[in-house]
Amino acid sequence: MRTLPTVSNRIERVSRRVLPALGLMLLAGCAKNAPQDFLHPEGDPAKTINTVNKIIFPLAGIVAVLVFIGVAVILWKFKDRGQPMPHQGHGKSTIEIGSIVVSASLLVVVAVPTFSTIFDLAETDDCNMVINVTGQQWWWEFAYPVQDGIDKPIVTSGDIVIPEGECVMLRITSRDVIHSFWVPKLNGKKDAVPNRVHTLRFQADQPGVYLGQCAEFCGLSHANMKMNAIALTRADFATWVANQTAEKPMASEGQAGFEGQGVYSSYCTACHQVDGLKDPSGNPVVAQADTTLVAGAAPNLTHLMSRITFAGGTYWLQTEKCRDDLFNASPEEFGALYLKGVDESCLNRIELEEWLRNAPAKKAMYPTLNEDGLGRGMPYLALSEDQIDSLVEYLLTLQ
Amino acid sequence: MADVAIPTDASHDAHDAHGGGHEHHSSLGLSNNKLAMWLFLGSECLLFGGLISTYMLYRGRVADGPAPDQVYDIPFTSVSSFVLLMSSLTMVLAVTSAARHDDRNTKLWLTITALLGATFVGGQVYEFTAFYREGMGFTTSLFSSSFFTLTGFHGVHVTVGIIMLMAVRAMIARNKIPGEKDEVVELVGLYWHFVDVVWIVIFTLVYLIPA
Amino acid sequence: MAIIERPESGTPVPALAGGPAVVGPAQTLGAFRRPVTTTGWKSWLFTVDHKKLGIMYGVSAMFFFVVGGLEAVLIRLQLAQPNGKVLSADVYNQMFTMHATTMVFLFIMPMAAAFANYMVPLQIGARDVAFPRINAFGFWAYFFGAIFINTSWFLGGAADGGWFMYAPNSSTLFSPSHGIDFWVLGLQITGIASLSGSVNLIVTVLNMRAPGMSLLKVPIFTWLVLVTQFLLLFAMPVITVALFLLNFQRGFGATFFDTSAGADPLLWQHLFWIFGHPEVYIIILPSFGLVSEVLPVFSRKPLFGYPLVVFSGVAIGFVGWGVWAHHMFASGLGPVSVAVFSIATMMIAIPTGVKIINWCMTMWGGKLWYTTSMMFAIALVVEFTIGGVSGVTHAAASSDTQQTDTYYIVAHFHYVLFGGAVLGLFAGFYYWWPKVFGRMLDEKLGKWNFWLMIIGLNLTFGPMHILGLQGQPRRMYRYDPDRMGEGFFNLTFWNQVATLGSIILSVGVLFFIINVWVTAKRPADAPLDPWDARSLEWLTASPPKEHNFDTIPQVHALDEFFHRKYAENEHGELVKVATAEELLAAEEAAGSGHVDLPAPSYWPILLAFGLPVAAYGVIYNHIGIAVGGVIILLAMFGWSLEPSYAEPTDYDPPTDGGSTKELATLG
Repeated sequence: MRTLPTVSNRIERVSRRVLPALGLMLLAGCAKNAPQDFLHPEGDPAKTINTVNKIIFPLAGIVAVLVFIGVAVILWKFKDRGQPMPHQGHGKSTIEIGSIVVSASLLVVVAVPTFSTIFDLAETDDCNMVINVTGQQWWWEFAYPVQDGIDKPIVTSGDIVIPEGECVMLRITSRDVIHSFWVPKLNGKKDAVPNRVHTLRFQADQPGVYLGQCAEFCGLSHANMKMNAIALTRADFATWVANQTAEKPMASEGQAGFEGQGVYSSYCTACHQVDGLKDPSGNPVVAQADTTLVAGAAPNLTHLMSRITFAGGTYWLQTEKCRDDLFNASPEEFGALYLKGVDESCLNRIELEEWLRNAPAKKAMYPTLNEDGLGRGMPYLALSEDQIDSLVEYLLTLQ
Repeated sequence: MADVAIPTDASHDAHDAHGGGHEHHSSLGLSNNKLAMWLFLGSECLLFGGLISTYMLYRGRVADGPAPDQVYDIPFTSVSSFVLLMSSLTMVLAVTSAARHDDRNTKLWLTITALLGATFVGGQVYEFTAFYREGMGFTTSLFSSSFFTLTGFHGVHVTVGIIMLMAVRAMIARNKIPGEKDEVVELVGLYWHFVDVVWIVIFTLVYLIPA
Repeated sequence: MAIIERPESGTPVPALAGGPAVVGPAQTLGAFRRPVTTTGWKSWLFTVDHKKLGIMYGVSAMFFFVVGGLEAVLIRLQLAQPNGKVLSADVYNQMFTMHATTMVFLFIMPMAAAFANYMVPLQIGARDVAFPRINAFGFWAYFFGAIFINTSWFLGGAADGGWFMYAPNSSTLFSPSHGIDFWVLGLQITGIASLSGSVNLIVTVLNMRAPGMSLLKVPIFTWLVLVTQFLLLFAMPVITVALFLLNFQRGFGATFFDTSAGADPLLWQHLFWIFGHPEVYIIILPSFGLVSEVLPVFSRKPLFGYPLVVFSGVAIGFVGWGVWAHHMFASGLGPVSVAVFSIATMMIAIPTGVKIINWCMTMWGGKLWYTTSMMFAIALVVEFTIGGVSGVTHAAASSDTQQTDTYYIVAHFHYVLFGGAVLGLFAGFYYWWPKVFGRMLDEKLGKWNFWLMIIGLNLTFGPMHILGLQGQPRRMYRYDPDRMGEGFFNLTFWNQVATLGSIILSVGVLFFIINVWVTAKRPADAPLDPWDARSLEWLTASPPKEHNFDTIPQVHALDEFFHRKYAENEHGELVKVATAEELLAAEEAAGSGHVDLPAPSYWPILLAFGLPVAAYGVIYNHIGIAVGGVIILLAMFGWSLEPSYAEPTDYDPPTDGGSTKELATLG
């Protein structure tokens, strides 16, 4: 009857060598310093989550390895070597009940810490700051309402700046589709759902940059929807707030950026807000994004150069060298370097110019208007090279 | 040695119930058709469960349109609900007549059941047009969309039931019933009762319990 | 043995007993005669034979496996470098949406249906399913629905919202092409197929078991198929509601998921996952059944703890309904519901763990024979364990908020779906090929097939664990080298390993296709019982006769076939007392000689064809709905008025002196 070759030797070899190798690969094969690695948390909530990780991941690994070893032993021990037909027993109730009890008790070990962390992480009463986080296709807006230490509302995008070591409560929502706010080193995800506001504890234990990105598929440019959490010392944070809330005068004739301000006023103000900009009759210019965009908002550019990215986090505002300096700065030096903002010497001028030249070519978007006359993302503006140059000069003044 | 597939008695004509071949044993003692109908109705429970949940979530979201208590005409709907309930009674009479092999009365009760059902559907059509005149279209609000979807699905079920009743009546009249007559009538009856029970749930949740 | 003899032309219809109740169909309804062809293409189009339909399910599903696999390779090629240029963002989004849709709805589910259709009646000793025409209709609805969805590629682009199609990203405002309309309507059509199939198979298993086969003597594959069909029965209506709501919104101006009208986007998520989680078990349980057949056969032992495997299957089926919100741990549910769903999710690990232990204990003390089929089954135990334990890590809700929507999840469910479901299906291919086609798949090519697939699978999906844990989200057409970390083993490297793995995996599948081709060219000379098998489907010819069994077997035990072959001698040793050939000869000799089989029918395929016509109408022109509706009505009319049996006079006279016409075989 048996005409087929057995391959038990090969199975043995594989189960003995490849499987442990796979496990080692998992441990040793990880990238170094991956900025979104949540197994190396740097904020209190993420560390709380990691206490659970530290139990379940090893436990899962051990169970898997035990099964592998068990299977390998069985495959070696019971391969057909011409032994007689085995006993046709249907099972042993002790093993069957035992297997239920063992797997159930393993799960209790996992369930208890899970249970407590769920409730710990849902708590936000001890947070002493609130930031409203709004997702839209394909960028994040961060709005700081008036509260202790902030006496004028701040609206920014790309960088969410927080004081170090303090719990910040994020109130997360969306203006169009569902997004998910995720800065892996600081906390788990929370979906940004239109018509709902979700809260999330947010905390970084040391000054620095913590990268994040949208984690719920949100359409065409989901891959390009990123944000950076910036933690500063309390003093640096106060400086940052002071800069963000300060009145900025318009550029006047002869000053840097004056020409660009004109270009900006004719091409950009339909969507983008720059506080302090006035029309010729002296009235403040207010962006009308609700009549131009599906989401009804475009990033507020008042302090563009105080941030480290543009285009919804798709591109760095700084050259690689300046960025490396900032990212590698010690916690003590970090604040000062960040607060310096992006000056001409550090500006990633090439990509910023390319963006102004033809934005839809630099980031997948739907610039064509729908039947209601609304677009999604920045359109092609047909700017001349001169206009682009002067616009960049103007943007550099938005510190 | 043998012959193939020649119907020799009425039971052989049972449509599609002959997969098992000549051996007509059934492990559960329930006919295949009846079991299938029960399973199908079980599935339908979740269909209506989903629609009812949607309605319950959105009943208060009326936007600029009318609110439930502004459009519902409870006395009218109560009467049409009563008509539908009565049709279940006549359906029972049809099933018992069929069990007695009383073709005349079976046809009679099937017709009356269908007429009562048609009265209910007519009432629903009237109700829908009345709502529409009061400014509540399908797309007016989340409430209106989910109301029309839920009751519309139910109305379609009643309509399908009426078609089944009339088809069975016609086939009895022309002696073309597939399978055993009393079982076919009973199957239609099962469906009809289910649709009635669903309406009782809908009537209670949608019309009687205030938002 | 002439079981199905075609009567000579002109045989009069026998006189009818019982008065006027029965009308000879031919006299009154001549327009609706049933087709009788048993060979050629017509025999496939109009067949109601569960075995032919099983093969048709299998061939179609295999085709879509290749389609979905090519989509996967394109995805991996795009991700082989950080800013890949293989696909545009738009096409990439369509690609992963359709990859998942194709693999789940158009490959795994119908492939499981192929096995269920073919094997369940054989395993329970029945001649067909309960409703053969509905069975045919189910296949054609799936087939037309699958083609319908895929035509969207050529009609303005496929669906681009992810297989979960979260609202409000699925509205016309955010996805203006017709892709999602095709997706919605196509899934409605295949959903009708699933629903009709589930009713049919449940009735078949519950009602048409051979005499003596009590529920705890039902072969384990059939048992788990039964659980699967119950899950389908109750899960399909929920997704049907969700799809209707979405269709009413996209096509008819309703606002169910329009947040500007005040809608709650979580409604879609709840409806989708109430369906979607049972769907996971719908996918995996048939494969669990397959390996639970294969492992005992090649261990030469009964399944360890058969009742426990049955009950744990049923338990998975029940608890599977109470865990849907674990897909939504980050979507803003309150901590109490999160905690409850987290615990429920952990509980479902218990019956799953029990299954792994039962499979290991089945092999323990056995006499293991490493055929390709057995190797796929063993690989399932190993690979599924990886997917199982990673599943436990995201049952812990707080930890899951870090894992969800990353590649770690992609790794997890591919180990479950590929390492679990697909490997199980391949174990089934090698195990039942000789039964279905009378030919043995080549074992040497099989080993190539196996090892390439296993290596490819682990290279593709293993690195995804690392990618996810180190922060790469899923569903992204590009990624930043800046976020991929440093060192040789950075995340770009692991992305490239995964791409390489996907190519090896494809080559592995190619070996299977070559194997099928090579096998089809060989003579049909498989032994009657090549594996020394245990269950009833082997108690008939290979391929089985059109009517499956000459005699409906009387069942005395679980593993009935095995117990007819083996008995204990006076020393308590198991010895063979009969060969399969002897058993088959005995069955044939005892044949009753009179078998009623349903004749083929024109109407199932026509009825199913009306569905996509109406669906195109919904998208493009409402006249199409009317045309589709007329086709459907016509088909229903024909369906209900056609006679149950073909007229004896319609058959060709027997050409071979009264011998049975066998089924056409593939290849």
